[in-house]
Amino acid sequence: MAFADIDRSVIGREYDRLTYPPITVDEIVSYARTLGVTDPIYLDEEAARRGPYGGLVAFPTFVVKLRGAQHMPMEVAREMTRGGFDAGKDIELGVPIRPGDVITATSTITELYEKTGRSGSMWFVVFRQHLVNQHGEMVANVDSRMMQRGRSEKHEASR
Amino acid sequence: MSGTHGDLRGATFDTVEPGDELPEITVELGRDYVRAHATEIGMPFPRFTDEEGAKLEGLPGQITPGNMTLALLARELLAWAPGGKVRRLGTTFRGLALAGTTVRLLGTVTEKDEEHRTVECDVWMETAEGDRCVIGTATVELP
Repeated sequence: MAFADIDRSVIGREYDRLTYPPITVDEIVSYARTLGVTDPIYLDEEAARRGPYGGLVAFPTFVVKLRGAQHMPMEVAREMTRGGFDAGKDIELGVPIRPGDVITATSTITELYEKTGRSGSMWFVVFRQHLVNQHGEMVANVDSRMMQRGRSEKHEASR
Repeated sequence: MSGTHGDLRGATFDTVEPGDELPEITVELGRDYVRAHATEIGMPFPRFTDEEGAKLEGLPGQITPGNMTLALLARELLAWAPGGKVRRLGTTFRGLALAGTTVRLLGTVTEKDEEHRTVECDVWMETAEGDRCVIGTATVELP
């Protein structure tokens, strides 16, 4: 089987759903701290109360941590075994994540397509993690584009 | 870690115009910094944490996760507009951001939406050689 043979019915089908334990203050602060964020609304509960959100919130790109349990459906994973790399990411953000929020991530594939460039054919798969909180509010849509070179190309290291 | 900022922070909707440049931020992608954040985001893979491990994967050395470069561009936007809200950020990872190097984060305002009080921006990460290793666009709601 080749990448081109993957059944397109996989597109749009939910292949993973994961509800995370409540998000903690430590998780929010640790993410911001390791990134080098200095704005206290992402670091300091007391200072954040006086900020635009009235409390501590997660730095917006915290959402990329919440990738679900299964990276991709098996029929796609089998064709990505020679390595692929992260070609890009689009995030659409809704309400911010706050301490105590319970986030559910549902995963679907939104696109499978081929492009031909100077170095040969490249296959792209786009995954979406749709994140909602315990109130049913949209937290984020995170679209990740993975790329793999065609079968005749030399192994490409993953990113 | 980073970094230097210009003197244009504190952007508000009423003070920005298309064509305005975001203040340049210089970020040192120190190996420990990249390793720590890669681990934090659940990507403690050799290519992101270890120079030799990355080379064994055929890479020139330890690299920065795409998710981290995305986050750094968000950091650039919010350093420019504290109190602003990033509504959308889309990026294309065009090249490697090697750990142990210094990169620059740059951006430009391209459009202004009066109704939603948002601006569209082009943002990018540039290596010391001037290569745009990450490019993107963003929608930011400004205070």
